[in-house]
Amino acid sequence: MAAVEAHRLRKTFDGLTALDGLDLMVAPGTVHGLLGPNGAGKTTLLRVLLGLVRLDAGECRVDGTVGGFVETPGAWPYLSGRQNLEVFAGMDDAPGDIAEVLERVDLTDRADTKVGGWSLGMRQRLGIAAGLLRRPQLLVLDEPANGLDPLGARQLRDLIRGLAADGLTVLLCSHDLTEVDVLCEDVTVMARGRDVWRGPVAGLRARPGRCLLATSDDPRARALAPVPLDESESGLSFVATTDVVDAFVLALAGAGIAVRSLERESLPLEQALRELVA
Amino acid sequence: MKVLRWELVRLRAQPRIRAAFALSLLGPPLFALVLGAQTGLPKDTLFGRYVKESGFALPLLVLGFAGTWVLPLLTSVVAGDVFATEDGHGTWQSLLTRSRTRAEVFAGKVMAAALTSVALLSVTTLSSLVAGLALAGDRPLPGLSGTPLGLGRATALVVASWASELPPLLGFAALAVLLSIWTRSSLAGVGGPLLLGLVMQLLALLGTLGSAVNVLLTTPFAAWHGLVRADPYFGPLWQGALVSLAWAVGCLVPARRLLLTRDIT
Repeated sequence: MAAVEAHRLRKTFDGLTALDGLDLMVAPGTVHGLLGPNGAGKTTLLRVLLGLVRLDAGECRVDGTVGGFVETPGAWPYLSGRQNLEVFAGMDDAPGDIAEVLERVDLTDRADTKVGGWSLGMRQRLGIAAGLLRRPQLLVLDEPANGLDPLGARQLRDLIRGLAADGLTVLLCSHDLTEVDVLCEDVTVMARGRDVWRGPVAGLRARPGRCLLATSDDPRARALAPVPLDESESGLSFVATTDVVDAFVLALAGAGIAVRSLERESLPLEQALRELVA
Repeated sequence: MKVLRWELVRLRAQPRIRAAFALSLLGPPLFALVLGAQTGLPKDTLFGRYVKESGFALPLLVLGFAGTWVLPLLTSVVAGDVFATEDGHGTWQSLLTRSRTRAEVFAGKVMAAALTSVALLSVTTLSSLVAGLALAGDRPLPGLSGTPLGLGRATALVVASWASELPPLLGFAALAVLLSIWTRSSLAGVGGPLLLGLVMQLLALLGTLGSAVNVLLTTPFAAWHGLVRADPYFGPLWQGALVSLAWAVGCLVPARRLLLTRDIT
């Protein structure tokens, strides 16, 4: 059973479409990345999952409780970090242990000081602690590394890895592609309120890659090619999806043309993403 | 009840709520100190001429001022901020992703605001009474007909008069709640009821509304005047209670609907 299964989600704010038939599938126990340009609908999707925004249409099913935060996590500045968590825990039926979650996000030492004087990074960690306090099956994090120094960002990655290792599903929305690359098994790329690609991170990087092909009979291979081919020093080059490449190779074999080499270029994640959402 | 409990905990910790309680507690004694230092008396106000004769006159004098301005201010400070503060601090997302429903959160917050308003009214009442007794002792209070009221009757009159402010006070709390949810702004939630209260006072002063003045939320604040007569009459109290109830329901029903259907963005 998927941790999140959403079909044809639609949401409009004052005539502006935020979600336009989005589908989402998140496997349980994985760290799933959510990528896309500003205005793609990522934050709206997270709000829907957290129950903060009502859908106009579509179905969304989450397996278990959801915790986490969208954008900057809020806290009452006149209360200490521990008191903030006590209030949140007081509103839950079966909350987790406050000391444990504080320890987990490395806030134990500052827990009894008022949040009003905290840095953004500390508030981010408090937001994660508040989410974990619900003992969620799905943790939703929106740009969690915002405001964190490099050391803090690394600690956060370790924390997310640890949570996933404990069986928690994490849905991570981030503009930091390195973070996504390092942490996520799967990603969903969004643009204009829709999912434009989903699959493993490696697949995203390989998807728009240029292929270099060398055959035993290039002129005949060119005639069989389903996409335009360019000449290059090392053979023929073309851009195609995996499905098209597979079909082309089978067609070459069927025509008695040997494939001597086939290489796919691996693009930087940023470039792959840019081409997808263009 | 969980929401109510934790909302009260948070309200107690808020600097502005502490300031409201400090004003309730210290305002009447400071007023008594100022009156004690003056040679003249506020003779043009109800019971003003007796503040140095009987300790029961001061709380009724304070009530004359508080009922018009201070009580709506105190309750607006609580109720006008209780919802909008979550928008200001961005805490809706943390609150509404707990186990409690939005309806429970609404009910808990409204009850917390109402209870805190009642506590503020009680503190102001007690503080006024104690300050009055400290200023002029527990000598009998001259009634409006000239008949002196003894310790028991005077105390009952003071308590009943202050208690009669409760319905319009809660009506103002409901109005502040509606503005707090609707505008998502603490400034509008706190200042809006005061501004509307001022408009209602002006309308009442102009005298152009006729009997329609009775549906204004500020009118019930003066209903206690009927209690201090030699032959008390309670019509304005009942009428004021009904008007306040109508205001409270008229504000809380749409406020609840707004919160339940709102997108937290």
